[in-house]
Amino acid sequence: MRTLSKPYTQLVQIIFYLSLALVAIAQIFPLIWMINFSLLKSGDFFGSYILKWPSPFQWKNYADAFKLGHVPAYLLNSAIVAVVVIAVTVIVSLMLSYVIARIDWKWNKYLAGLVMICMIVPLYSTLLPNFFIFNKIKLIDTYFALILPNIAFLIPLSVFIFIGFLETTPRAIEEAAVIDGLNLLGVVFRIIIPISKPVISSVAVLAFLNTWNEFIMAVTFIRTDTYKTLPFSLIQFTGEYASNYAAQFAVMTVIALPSVLLYMIFTEQITSSLTAGAVKG
Amino acid sequence: MNKLWMEKRNIAVLIMPGLVFILGLILLPILVALYLSFTNYDGVDYRFLGLDNYKEIFFHDPVFWSSLRNAVLLGVAFILLQHPLAILMAIVTPHTGRWERFLRVVIFIPSIISTFVTSQMWVSILSVQYGLLNRVLADIGLSSWKQDWLGNPDIAIFSIIFVAMWQGFGYAYLLYYAGIKGVPSELYEAAVVDGANKWQYNLRVVLPLLSPVIRINFVLAVVAGFKQMETVFLMTGGGPANSTQFLATYLYSKAFRDGLFGYGSAISVLFVFFCLLLTLLMNRLLKKDVGEF
Repeated sequence: MRTLSKPYTQLVQIIFYLSLALVAIAQIFPLIWMINFSLLKSGDFFGSYILKWPSPFQWKNYADAFKLGHVPAYLLNSAIVAVVVIAVTVIVSLMLSYVIARIDWKWNKYLAGLVMICMIVPLYSTLLPNFFIFNKIKLIDTYFALILPNIAFLIPLSVFIFIGFLETTPRAIEEAAVIDGLNLLGVVFRIIIPISKPVISSVAVLAFLNTWNEFIMAVTFIRTDTYKTLPFSLIQFTGEYASNYAAQFAVMTVIALPSVLLYMIFTEQITSSLTAGAVKG
Repeated sequence: MNKLWMEKRNIAVLIMPGLVFILGLILLPILVALYLSFTNYDGVDYRFLGLDNYKEIFFHDPVFWSSLRNAVLLGVAFILLQHPLAILMAIVTPHTGRWERFLRVVIFIPSIISTFVTSQMWVSILSVQYGLLNRVLADIGLSSWKQDWLGNPDIAIFSIIFVAMWQGFGYAYLLYYAGIKGVPSELYEAAVVDGANKWQYNLRVVLPLLSPVIRINFVLAVVAGFKQMETVFLMTGGGPANSTQFLATYLYSKAFRDGLFGYGSAISVLFVFFCLLLTLLMNRLLKKDVGEF
């Protein structure tokens, strides 16, 4: 490096940073494009523009999207499923993690192994058998068909994150609580849950993103309109209203926005929980 | 604390709900799939076939093998293209001053958005009739490059690989970025005192320290390529002419499109088996490498 002249290294740096800026733009541009088209007239989609300033802003697309895509009803279903999944996942995983991380018990090794195996099993391999099981016990076309498997597949990752947190937490408070006469359930619900708030928020955000963005189970297990979730709003636009591109892009923006906002608010928590295993090793 | 271990009943109360979920909704289904895989169940009636489904898959089903090949191809693309670029971006980001936070958020956004949305978006970009890509190519005088990006069996798989890399780029980047942020800043000061510039510091100090992270992330990348489903399912459904099938999309179309539930179950079972095998194998390789340190 030292033998190179200064202007030359500066040129290399400029080219370097320019190409990196290009990558950043490639990551964000399609989304800007999507939002842009959600605000244009449907016909503008076929013009030769890449981006176009909407004049005037076609907010009507969003109204169309809400109406044609049944957005309000599906949004409510998505929210119901997400809230139940988050609450149950957090509590159930924390209970399980506490036993694995803290209790010196001969079955723990097997319990941890079981959770690990479940982390490896791909969701897609359970779609078909679960379809039969749900069909037999009449769960197809209910909220349970979405809620139960979502929780099950979130448990392994959540347990992994909670155990990582518990390992860095001192046992002193729990010991004091036990001496004061608290039993095991008391320790978990009165001590552990309150001190785990930061990590609970990470797990809750991950659970939200997973459930919100989930579609394959919804498509497989749900048939009737009553229980459809947000992805179905977009499916509406593959058939009858396929030519209404602007409304379609509006639906896409509506689905994407909550995730993006949540990510901007919880960047630190999401980063630390997502990278926990892979960075520590 | 000894007292807590004695509370067997309370331990059971804590474990049970979680156990019921993973046993009932993950392991039981796998066992059901294993049973169905020995039959020719079509939703109505079934006959026990023994290993016939597996024989058919292994010896007479070229699509099964090409879906495995596509998975390998995606894994290789992740490791040769996506990850080096992600590492480079992650190394540079901390040197960009006030752009650092902005870059981190922007790069990760595609990974946070529903695949349902991003796939639909890319279908629009790559569409042959109205797609953005063909329009741009025409505008810059490269009309001859215009393609049916998702409809041409020779090209579709590369379009899929590109979109999968785009979608997963933020996650790969984030893992390296977190790893780099974990490098103590004293090392940078020490390197500067020793007369190193930024490039030398990154090459001689950061990269070696990052190597365990790189190794784990390569494992994750290979597994992710293997488990690929959503992008393909939504963009091409495995077509045209099965050219973009991956194991998960293939089992889905066999089971739910063709109604071959027994056959689909056999693919499911093999899928789980391969995933366990791959993870085991990669972990073994990983342990060996770490041992050298």
